Amino acid sequence: MKDKLNSALDWLKGKKVDYADARFVRTETESVRVTDGVVDTLNKDVNVGVGIRVIDRGAWGFAAVASVKEADIKKAANKALQTARASATTLKEKVKLAEVTPFKDHYKSPCEKDPFEVPVDEQVGLLLEISDRLKTDALIKTAEATCDFFKTKKLFCSTEGAEIEQDIIESGAGYTATAYDGNEVQKRSYPNSHRGDYATHGYEYVLGMKLLDNVDRVRNEAVQLLKAENCPDTVCDIIICGSQMALQVHESCGHPTELDRVLGTEISLAGGSFMQLDGLNKLKYGSDIVNIFADATIPGALGSFGYDDEGVKAQRAPIIQNGLHVGYLTSRETAPVIGKTSNGTMRADGWNRLPLIRMTNINLEPGEWELDQLIADTKDGIFFDMNKSWSIDDKRLNFQFGTECAWEIKDGKLGKLLKNPLYTGMTPKFWNSCDAICNKKHWHIWGVPNCGKGEPMQVARVAHGAAPTRFRKVKVGVSK
Amino acid sequence: MIGQDKLFAIFEKVAKSSKADETEIVYVGSNYGLTRFANSIIHQNVNEDNARIFFRTILGKKIGVASTNSLVYSEMKDTLRNSLEIAKYQKNNVNFPGLPGPSEYAKLDTHYEATAKYSPRDRARQVKKVFVRANKRKFTTAGAYATGDGEIAVFNTKGVRCYQPFTSASINIIAMSETSSGYSVGLSRKVEDIDVISLADAAVEKAYIGKKPKPLEAGEYEVILEPSAVAALFEWLNYIGFGSKAFLEKTSFLADKIGKKIMADSVTVYDDANDSSAIAMPFDFEGVPKKKVVIIDKGVGKGVVFDSISGNKAGVPSTGHALTANDHGQGAIPLNIFLDPGAKTRDELISSVKRGILVTRFHYINGYIDMPNAVLTGMTRDGTYLIEDGQIKHGVKNLRFTDSMLRAFSTVKGISRDRQLIPSWWDSVGCIAAPTIHLGSFKFTGTTDF
Repeated sequence: MKDKLNSALDWLKGKKVDYADARFVRTETESVRVTDGVVDTLNKDVNVGVGIRVIDRGAWGFAAVASVKEADIKKAANKALQTARASATTLKEKVKLAEVTPFKDHYKSPCEKDPFEVPVDEQVGLLLEISDRLKTDALIKTAEATCDFFKTKKLFCSTEGAEIEQDIIESGAGYTATAYDGNEVQKRSYPNSHRGDYATHGYEYVLGMKLLDNVDRVRNEAVQLLKAENCPDTVCDIIICGSQMALQVHESCGHPTELDRVLGTEISLAGGSFMQLDGLNKLKYGSDIVNIFADATIPGALGSFGYDDEGVKAQRAPIIQNGLHVGYLTSRETAPVIGKTSNGTMRADGWNRLPLIRMTNINLEPGEWELDQLIADTKDGIFFDMNKSWSIDDKRLNFQFGTECAWEIKDGKLGKLLKNPLYTGMTPKFWNSCDAICNKKHWHIWGVPNCGKGEPMQVARVAHGAAPTRFRKVKVGVSK
Repeated sequence: MIGQDKLFAIFEKVAKSSKADETEIVYVGSNYGLTRFANSIIHQNVNEDNARIFFRTILGKKIGVASTNSLVYSEMKDTLRNSLEIAKYQKNNVNFPGLPGPSEYAKLDTHYEATAKYSPRDRARQVKKVFVRANKRKFTTAGAYATGDGEIAVFNTKGVRCYQPFTSASINIIAMSETSSGYSVGLSRKVEDIDVISLADAAVEKAYIGKKPKPLEAGEYEVILEPSAVAALFEWLNYIGFGSKAFLEKTSFLADKIGKKIMADSVTVYDDANDSSAIAMPFDFEGVPKKKVVIIDKGVGKGVVFDSISGNKAGVPSTGHALTANDHGQGAIPLNIFLDPGAKTRDELISSVKRGILVTRFHYINGYIDMPNAVLTGMTRDGTYLIEDGQIKHGVKNLRFTDSMLRAFSTVKGISRDRQLIPSWWDSVGCIAAPTIHLGSFKFTGTTDF
C-alpha cells in the first residue's frame, strides 16, 4: 500500500504541486445492541479507501475513493489536483503550512484483548444479562445495552517524505434504563449516557467497567425519578459530576479553542468562537484553579493517537492555565497565524473525509478536594449527575445542559433526588465562578464517541478528563 | 454509476453462495462533491466516490448484518459470510416477520444529468457569484455548495428488486458584517433550480437589516418562524416523536396522544416520499414502497411510521420507512416530511404581528429535556429581528428558547402558502418542506452577547 500511495504522490510531484498527502484507512466496526432482551443490532462493517489532499497554486483539493487499486488512487489524485485548481480561482492568499518533521514510524494503541477476537456470544450474553436485570421492575419500559468496537489501520504518506502507520483499537459500552409510569418518562444510564464510556483499549476496558455491579442502582434510580420532585428553578451553588463536566469542557472550552472555528472556517455549520485571537494570553477564561490541557499522549484515552492525520506527532498543549486562555487546538495551516507550529489535532473521520481540527483529550486538571469534603462544604446547592441534554450558541457563550438527575445539597449533605434538572450560563462567567475541583481519585477520562463537525459531516471520538467540580451562583432551571 | 442490471447481476451471483434462509443486499452508492467557503474564499473542496453495501441474512428468526464498501466479489462474499456468522450467534428476534416480498413502487424521476455532471469548477464558478454579490455590499460570506449523484438498489431472495438513481444539489450561504449575519439555503434534485444569486442576495439582505443588533429581554413573544427555523424544530420532533422506536418505547409525545388534540387546527404534518416536488424516493431500504403517512392531522395526533420489524411488533404493516439494516435498531423514521401550507404570504404574516420576533433559523437544538412533552431548547442564529406594528424594526441579539412544541404550536396564528425545501442529514433521500409559521407564543429563556 505504501508503494501505491507514494506512486500517486510521485505523480503529483511531477505535476509540481505545492504539497500532497495520501491516507489509506481501513476501519472495522462492530456494534451490538440489546433492547428488552432482543438483540436488535449486531453488525460488522468494513470500510476501506484512500483520501488524497493536494495544495496546488496555493489552494486545497481533496478526493477520496473506495478502492485500493493503483489506477483508482491515481484517478483520485488527479481529481484532487483538478479540484485544487478550481479552488485556486477564488484564492486571496496562498496556503502555507507550518514545518513538520516527516516521521517514519508505527504507532499502536494499547490493547490486551482484541475485541474482534472475543466471541460475539460473550458480548451478547453480557448485554442480555444487563437487559434482563434492568427489566426486573415492571416500571422499566425499555432496557437498552450496547457495545461498540473500532479497529483502524492507517497509513499516511506525504510529498515531504512522511510514512506513518497506526493501528488503533477503540472499545466502549454502556446501558440505559427507561422508566415509564403512564405519565412520564425518566432515564438512568451507566457508566455514561449516550452509549456509555469509551477508550483506545481492547475488550479489557469493557470488562473493567463494572457494568453488572451497577445494574440494580441504575434500575432503581430510574424508577425513583418517576416520583421525585422537579428540580427547582433557582440560583445556587452547583456541583457537577465528572461525566457531565466532560461535556461541559467539550462544549464550552474544547470547541471554542479550535483555531479553525476562531478563524471563521467552520462558520457555515458549527459556527465561530468567542475566544478570538486578541484574547490569547489576555482572556481570563476561568478562575485561578482552572487548568485545561489538550493531551493526545495519554495511553488508552479515547482522544489519544501517535500522529494526527497531517503526520504531526501527538502532543500535550496548554489551553487554559490558572484561568488564563493561553492556547488553541491547531493545524499546520492555522498554527502559523499565531506564530506557532501545529500541536497535532487534525483528524479525519475515515479515508473519505478531509482532516479537520478535532479535540484530542481536552482535560480539566484535577484539584485537591475529596468529593465528600466538597459536598460537606456546600451549604445549599444541587449536585448534577450525567448528561441528558446539551445546547450552546454558535460562539460557545450561552449554554444549557440537562442531566438525568440531581440531588439537593442541604447543610453539606446530599438530600432529595430531583428530576428534570437544567443549568444554564455564559461560558467565561460560569468558569470564573469555579471554586473547587475534586482530586485525582475522582478524576476519569470520559470517552465521547460522537463529536460532530464539518461539511460533509464528520464524527470524531474524543475524550475529556474531569472530576466533580463546584460552581457558585449558577442559574438552575429556565424561569428564574 | 453502475446501473441496475449490473448491480442486480452482481447481487444474484453473491446471493447464490448464501446458506441463509433469506438474504438481503442493499447498495447505496454515491459520487459527491462539496465546495466549502469562508471569508469569501474556497477553503475546502472535496470529492468522494463511495458505496455502502449492507448484507442481511436470516436464519429462522435470527438476523445477521454486515456491511462493506467494496464491490470486489470476494470481499462481498466475505461480508455475506460474516453476516451469516453473526446470524448464527444471534438470539431469535420475535418481532421479525421475514423479509418483505416484491411490491410495485412508483416510477419517479430523481436523477438529472446536468446535476450528475456538475464539476468542482462549476461549483467554484457559482460560489464566486456569491462572493461578488456580497462584496458589492461589503459583506463576507461562508457556506457550502454540494452536488452529486448516486443509486440505491435493494435486492432480496424473495424477489425484491428495487432500484433508484438520484441526484441532489444544495447550498447554504451565510453573509456577515462585523455585527450581524444572514442565512439562506437552497435544495433540489436539479442543480439548475439552485438560484445562487437570489440566495446570496437574500443572505446579504438579512445581514444588512440585522446590523448592530440590540439586546432584547428573554420572555414570551409572538414569533414568525421562517422555513429553516420551522424545519429545524420538526427535524427534532421527528427524531424524538415521529418514529416507531420512540412511539413503541413511549418516549414519543405521540405515544399516548393518537386521536388527541396536540397542536393547532392549522397544523398538519405528513410524510410523503412519492411527492416529486421535494426529494422523493419511492421505496425504503427493505424495498417496501413508501406510503404517505399523516402524522398530525389538523392538530390531532394521527400516527407514526413503521418498518417491517417495528410494524410487526405494533401489529400493523410496514409503512415503507425502514432505514438501512445497520440502523434497524433505531426503528423506522420519516425522511420526507411536509407541513401543510396556509393561505398567507410571509409579509402578510409579519404585518399581522404587533410586537414579536422574526427567527431565520435555530442553532444546536436539543430535544432530550422532556420528550413526552416535546420540550426543545436551542439558540436563534443568522438573522433574528424585532417586529413592531407589523414592521421589522431592527436586528436583536440571539436568544435561547426552551419550550414545549406542543404548547407553542397550539398557538399558531398563520401559515404561509409557500413552502421551502430544507435539507437535513438525509438530504439525498428526503428533506423537510416547511412554510413560514406565525406562533402566538414562544418562550425565550436566555440571551447571549451577539
